Amino acid sequence: MSTFLQLNTIFISIIIEALPFVLIGVFISGFIQMFVTEQMIAKVVPKNRVLGVLYGTVIGALFPACECGIIPIVHRLLKKGVPLHVAIPFMLTGPIINPIVLFSTFIAFGNSWQMVWYRGGLALLIAFVIGLILSFQYKDTQLLDEDEHDHHHEHAQTLWQKFMGTLNHAVEEFFSVGKYLIIGAFIAASMQIFVKTSVLMELGQTKATSSLVMMALAFILSLCSEADAFIAASFRGTFSTSALVAFLLIGPMVDIKNLLMMLQTFKKKFIAVLILYIIIFVFISSMLV
Amino acid sequence: MNFHFQQAIRAVILFAFSAMIFNLHQTGEITKLINPKYENLSKTVAILFFILFVVQLTRIFSFSTKDHHHCHHTGHHCCHHDHGNSPFNTKKLFSYLILIIPLATGFFIPAKTLDASIAEKKGGMMILSKQTQAAETEDFTEAAIPNQSAGDDLYGDHAPDPNLMEERQEIPEEEYDHLKKELSQKQTIHMTNHIYTIYYDDINSNASKYKGKKIQLTGFVLKEKGFKQNQLVLSRFLITHCIADSSIIGFLSELPEAQNIDEDTWIEATGTIDISTYNGEQLPIIKIANWKKIEEPKKPYIYPIDIRVGL
Repeated sequence: MSTFLQLNTIFISIIIEALPFVLIGVFISGFIQMFVTEQMIAKVVPKNRVLGVLYGTVIGALFPACECGIIPIVHRLLKKGVPLHVAIPFMLTGPIINPIVLFSTFIAFGNSWQMVWYRGGLALLIAFVIGLILSFQYKDTQLLDEDEHDHHHEHAQTLWQKFMGTLNHAVEEFFSVGKYLIIGAFIAASMQIFVKTSVLMELGQTKATSSLVMMALAFILSLCSEADAFIAASFRGTFSTSALVAFLLIGPMVDIKNLLMMLQTFKKKFIAVLILYIIIFVFISSMLV
Repeated sequence: MNFHFQQAIRAVILFAFSAMIFNLHQTGEITKLINPKYENLSKTVAILFFILFVVQLTRIFSFSTKDHHHCHHTGHHCCHHDHGNSPFNTKKLFSYLILIIPLATGFFIPAKTLDASIAEKKGGMMILSKQTQAAETEDFTEAAIPNQSAGDDLYGDHAPDPNLMEERQEIPEEEYDHLKKELSQKQTIHMTNHIYTIYYDDINSNASKYKGKKIQLTGFVLKEKGFKQNQLVLSRFLITHCIADSSIIGFLSELPEAQNIDEDTWIEATGTIDISTYNGEQLPIIKIANWKKIEEPKKPYIYPIDIRVGL
């Protein structure tokens, strides 16, 4: 009984923690839907492949997004004609390179810049490489609903109508991603209750295995990218810096919560490929640290 | 006039989210879920849900026969997320049920304070003994350069009133240095909630400096396999954002009656700081002289204090 109560408490707490960021995500998504046109995007996003990827990689610095709030935004951007190789790097770096997350990393590691550079720099590098690969590999959006074009909202005329349209869209987006957030939160809470951290630690004896273990832990815990640096810092004595870097890189890119939300948005095969790339490049970068 | 059943369900759910969050704040349960620093953010969410609820109300009834203005051009279903107007089926029922689960448990099941079983899952004593190591290697620069400059005579005899500080989650860097300096001069260290992390870090990184000092603290009892009969951990949970990111902190302690005290008992204790080894790691321990059982405190968790640095 006590176990169930604790599970429920952690479950609710993850939801309460994530809701502000998910709401920001669905509002921005609604806003893009109503106010941003495909022509505007065509003007802003560079046509050149490399510049496009670069653009997607760094633009996330301006958005205080977290890994679950960013999925509805990316979905909407893709629908508006942003190429996949621009949108995905944005999705990968957005939850890492924004000022809030970098600052909390700075604080968590005892006011030290080292981890901030590792985290921010390597995230940019990984997202850039993955973006480039995707630009050769895929030509379409890889969305589940890619055939369904939605230019139908463009004839909402007055500002008031557009404003109401934004809110209505936010509601729809919330009901479409909300259930995945909840399932993800439940699985993450169960993992915390039933999986012993010490078992994982015993697996991580060498440099390579300890990086892999920390990557698995980041996936399982599904922490918000604002808080994960503090957890990483609490593992300082147990794991090497390279393993902690792996933890801090992969958590915001893919975890249980946002995987479930991705499943609602992207084709399964694409998600599998993307996650494989993330795992490979996060692992390689952590070995270089 | 048409009544849209699903739009009504959605309105109810939006309202319930708003109500649940307000309720958590009203009852104070919210402090058992998230760091109080984020309370306002969470209140904002409740307000936003209420606004969405009001917006949603306008969609429950429609007056025209034209159902949805934007699905007219082709045959296929135009938005993948449905607008709540397509027919109700079991799949939909299931997804609404998922949304209702956290609402129900959030309303009716009280939040439970994390206990020793979670501490054990989080690595328990293994993590604690490593924290000492980490603190020692990380903080060595600070120890090498005496931090005399900033906060030296800032407060003089008028140290900040601890009662005023209680509610703050952020302090300027000078004050932080001052607190640390003050700590090293104190004869008895009182580990209150708000300064817990500052003192904890310093004691762990410079254990030898504090050896022999008196310490007063509260915590819940944690025991592990491999402990001696007179050993227990006086532990707390540190919450950064929400309780899902809790980590375990605390001191290994020794007292003769340890084996008679059950896990998860909250106690208030005074003792002396000493240095000992656990599984080969040197770490500060507390030799407890006096202790008493207490009720679980109203604020069982410790929150890290942010240090405002001039960047």
